[in-house]
Amino acid sequence: MKGKQYSVKVYETSVGDEERFISFFDANYILFKDRLIVVQGELSPRIEEYLKSKSLLYANNIEFPSSRSRQDIQLELEEKQAKELKQQEILAQEFNKLSSRLNNNLKVQDNIVRSGQEVIIEGDLLLLNRINSGARVETSGNLIITQAVEGDIYCNGNFMMIGNSPKANIIFNGVRVDNNLLQEKLNKIELIDNEIIITAILEKEINWA
Amino acid sequence: MGIVIAVISGKGGVGKTTATANLGLGIAMNDEKVVLVDFDIGQRNLDMILGLENRVVYDMVQVMDGEANLKQALIKSKVSTNLSFLAASQTKDKTVLDSQRVKELLDELKSEFDYVILDAPAGIESGYEHTIEFADAAIIVVNPEVSSIRDADRAIGILDSKSQKVKDGQEVVKYLIINRIVASMVQSGEMLNSEDILEILNIKLLGKVPEDKGVIDASNQGKPIILNEKSVAGQAYQRIAKRICGQTVKMEDIESENKGLMKKLKGMFQ
Repeated sequence: MKGKQYSVKVYETSVGDEERFISFFDANYILFKDRLIVVQGELSPRIEEYLKSKSLLYANNIEFPSSRSRQDIQLELEEKQAKELKQQEILAQEFNKLSSRLNNNLKVQDNIVRSGQEVIIEGDLLLLNRINSGARVETSGNLIITQAVEGDIYCNGNFMMIGNSPKANIIFNGVRVDNNLLQEKLNKIELIDNEIIITAILEKEINWA
Repeated sequence: MGIVIAVISGKGGVGKTTATANLGLGIAMNDEKVVLVDFDIGQRNLDMILGLENRVVYDMVQVMDGEANLKQALIKSKVSTNLSFLAASQTKDKTVLDSQRVKELLDELKSEFDYVILDAPAGIESGYEHTIEFADAAIIVVNPEVSSIRDADRAIGILDSKSQKVKDGQEVVKYLIINRIVASMVQSGEMLNSEDILEILNIKLLGKVPEDKGVIDASNQGKPIILNEKSVAGQAYQRIAKRICGQTVKMEDIESENKGLMKKLKGMFQ
């Protein structure tokens, strides 16, 4: 007996919508003309006719002799990704805890943030200058601003401190903070048990320098 | 070697070109050689305010293109021989400028004049960026109202990030002119006062110019208001020009209303 061994390129597919199937093969004919087309599932006479007319080599419903099916590999991949994601989440949570406890990666800036400028900070920020109208400051951590704010601030940390700023647009953990609640010279905005709590740190009369 | 000063505002219609014309003339009257360059390509009007519109033969773009040399294109003012003017092209648009050609032109002007003053276009587009790119200093003109302040703030932000001097690690000196101040409106709170504006913009004050009805007519006539010694705006520009030339001139308080005798008497009995 004589035998020969081939490695054949296989394109595995199934027919959903016949029109789409045909137009797809029309468009990608060059790619498939030297491959074995394996149609899993039902193979209608129309499609068979079509494949023949294009003189494409095809087969129907073949169980591949591979040790793992594509679905298995897919599943395994998804599991691995999910596991990685979870690990990252745990890591991020740990980092968050650490950051709030130790005031980790605190940045201090003393430049005026002008209209049209953006300051985006990973971690905490202490800003010692103004945020002008039309400017944007965003922190993933805590935010303390000692000067007037007229621009947009986005803080995603556990707390922020800000003075009376009637013109500011303040978004704390995705929630817009009512400027009328920030009447005092310095206010602390905290997220405690999914609730935003605003407390006065410095009353109006006290000179915050 | 002269210095290049860009006159900017962000917002249009605040009196940038008027300020450029008046300061140019004012500095020239202090015996310094000045050239004013209109960078508002496609919308020139500095020539009209200076009363030189019928003298424009060649413009800045033609000089850059080599169609004319600088001497041919520079127009001497009728009022002061120290003052020259280089017109913008009215037929081209802002895209004709490029950094290299702007730099070459400014270098040539700096070697001949003590002050090279550039009138920036309104807005923050490429024309504006080319005006500030090689500036040593900037004069920011604002009106005492919020939209002008915000646009100026934006313009300063771009100046601080895109000018060559900043890229080289130096600082572009920035001075503020508050234009068209109406004392009664500042007193009533309708207009921002200068302290508030300075706090927002955080730059040095060069001068305050009061609203003056004579400015429009002066522009129409092509005789900048600084030539009218009786005009309050003209006097303000004279003070500012002297400050630019290094003299110490007291900052006039033009934001308090001039109280007449009757008002003072009334005040006594209240």
